[in-house]
Amino acid sequence: MIVSRSSSNSPSYPPRSRKIINYIMLSLTGLCTLLVVSVLLTILVYLLWNGVHALNLNFFTKLPAPVGQSGGGVSNAIIGTLKLLALASAIGVPIGLLGGIYLSEFAGGWSAFTVRYTTDLLNGVPSVVMGIFVYTLVVLPMHHFSTLAGGIALGIMMIPIALRSTEDFLRAVPRSLREGGLALGASKSETIFTIVIPAAIYGIITGIMLDVARVAGETAPLLFTAFGNQFNSPGWLQPTASLPVVIYNYAISPYDEWHQQAWAAGFVLLSGLLVVSIIARLILARGKKLSHG
Amino acid sequence: MIRRLLTLAVLTTASAFAQQISLTGAGSTFAYPLYSSWASQYHTLHPNVEVNYQSIGSGGGIRQLIAGTVDFGATDGPMTDKELAEAQQKRGTAILHFPTALGADVPSYNIPGVSAELKFTPAALAGIYLGHITKWNDPEIQKANPGIKLPAANIVVIHRSDGSGTTYCWVDYLSKVSPDWKNKVGVGTSVNWPVGLGGKGNEGVSGLIRRIPNSIGYIELIYSIQNHILYGEVENSSGKFIKADLNTVTFAAAGASKTMPADFRVSITNPASAQAYPISTYTWLLIPEKMSDKTKGAALKAFLHWGLTDGQKYAAPLAYAPLPNVVVQRELQQMKKLQY
Repeated sequence: MIVSRSSSNSPSYPPRSRKIINYIMLSLTGLCTLLVVSVLLTILVYLLWNGVHALNLNFFTKLPAPVGQSGGGVSNAIIGTLKLLALASAIGVPIGLLGGIYLSEFAGGWSAFTVRYTTDLLNGVPSVVMGIFVYTLVVLPMHHFSTLAGGIALGIMMIPIALRSTEDFLRAVPRSLREGGLALGASKSETIFTIVIPAAIYGIITGIMLDVARVAGETAPLLFTAFGNQFNSPGWLQPTASLPVVIYNYAISPYDEWHQQAWAAGFVLLSGLLVVSIIARLILARGKKLSHG
Repeated sequence: MIRRLLTLAVLTTASAFAQQISLTGAGSTFAYPLYSSWASQYHTLHPNVEVNYQSIGSGGGIRQLIAGTVDFGATDGPMTDKELAEAQQKRGTAILHFPTALGADVPSYNIPGVSAELKFTPAALAGIYLGHITKWNDPEIQKANPGIKLPAANIVVIHRSDGSGTTYCWVDYLSKVSPDWKNKVGVGTSVNWPVGLGGKGNEGVSGLIRRIPNSIGYIELIYSIQNHILYGEVENSSGKFIKADLNTVTFAAAGASKTMPADFRVSITNPASAQAYPISTYTWLLIPEKMSDKTKGAALKAFLHWGLTDGQKYAAPLAYAPLPNVVVQRELQQMKKLQY
């Protein structure tokens, strides 16, 4: 398409109208970028502004006070959320990881298509449906709301993203590496586990961390699985409090103090997710540096 | 870190003299402030027992109790015969009703510029909830409040969106005072509302009233008091305007305690007593007659016994009326039916 024309050498090129349009579009895109960044910042500042009065040591160490009484904290919900995420990862990560390896290294034709397609559909299932599904499958037969049920619901939600991100990062490993491994006499599984996966490990870890961050904020799947608890939940078979459900319950309550605690809990949750996501980016950046350097 | 936590858990379990017991209950938001106070007090007295009460609404509490996912339920509208039969069939146990306290539904409102206590006739309340009365300065409201200047604003009607005992008490009352309501809408823990916005739980309805100008909603008395929402007096069957408080609710209970049926399922709305507040109700704990886990059963029984006796003193500070002594004695008799 590079055709030199006499007009392109004239001093009036490009014409003024194009320059103006260029400036307008540039400032529009800049504005949109600013808008996107400012939304996150505004949310963070707003959460902090409204919740700062409730953010004290008690908030992190105390159990909730009885309704309508002042004081108390959400320590049980913080521990509950950490337990739920640990369990969800224990379920979602191995399945997603192995599924991703299968898709990228072994599957072909219609089986790959089926797995990929159902995974994408699973990713699209509304989270509240996942809650009802696990309620029917786990809570009803066990006659108990439990950390276990909540963890299973979140774990299932983690599978699609863990699987697809693992697959994507494995596919990005150059074919020549695999061929090199096989040419040196390594078996296929040796090649996968000692060459391909280590080459993609930073990406895979990043994908999983972002996946954890994504389910950490889910409320709907927990309402009828993990339920709620105003005490600490011992073990895995008792109902448990979790940050998103506490935020939901406190936000619709009429008590000002609960509103403040809901804001504060939102801030704690979002900050936690931000930290996880920043660590994930750092890991990925380090991985890139290592593989290129 | 995990190893340390595990060691800690093992140590605390081993050192604890008695086994840690958690009881899970769900239901009524009407009685939530009382039960959450009970749970906290009881935990201080018996550190090995944790009573986890979740206020998901009476309708939800009954459903979860039938499904067997909670140890006990709580409601302010008694379970229907059909629900009791369903529980018997699904769980193989009868469900017993135990009244724990009395409370009142109060018509609460938020009208900018009006800080006076309004008076409501039964016709006004029924008219508002049927959608016949749409303005605050409607003659039916104005005539009961001669000195107050009511705005010509549209009334925003708020009701519950979930299955609710608070609703049951409210519509049970409306059915008794308005034939129109009885025919068109009827009684239940959730009904087909002719007008209005839904809020989840007493908490949600209170929140909506506070946020929406010119709104009216029905909530349990303590929610109005704790949240500084104005609530009106209601005209009772003797033509007297009565404000809901400890005394007027107790009067409603006193009349009904003589005629209390054996299973305690009784409605005390619109009683004959001249001093009684007309939209009052008992609130019940729903306890299964049999439980497979005897340890849990024993703990539940002890908690219930404490609530009916020592726990009664926590009712009045939260604006619930304590149970009449006659009723408590009959309930303690009824507790002997519990097979654990």
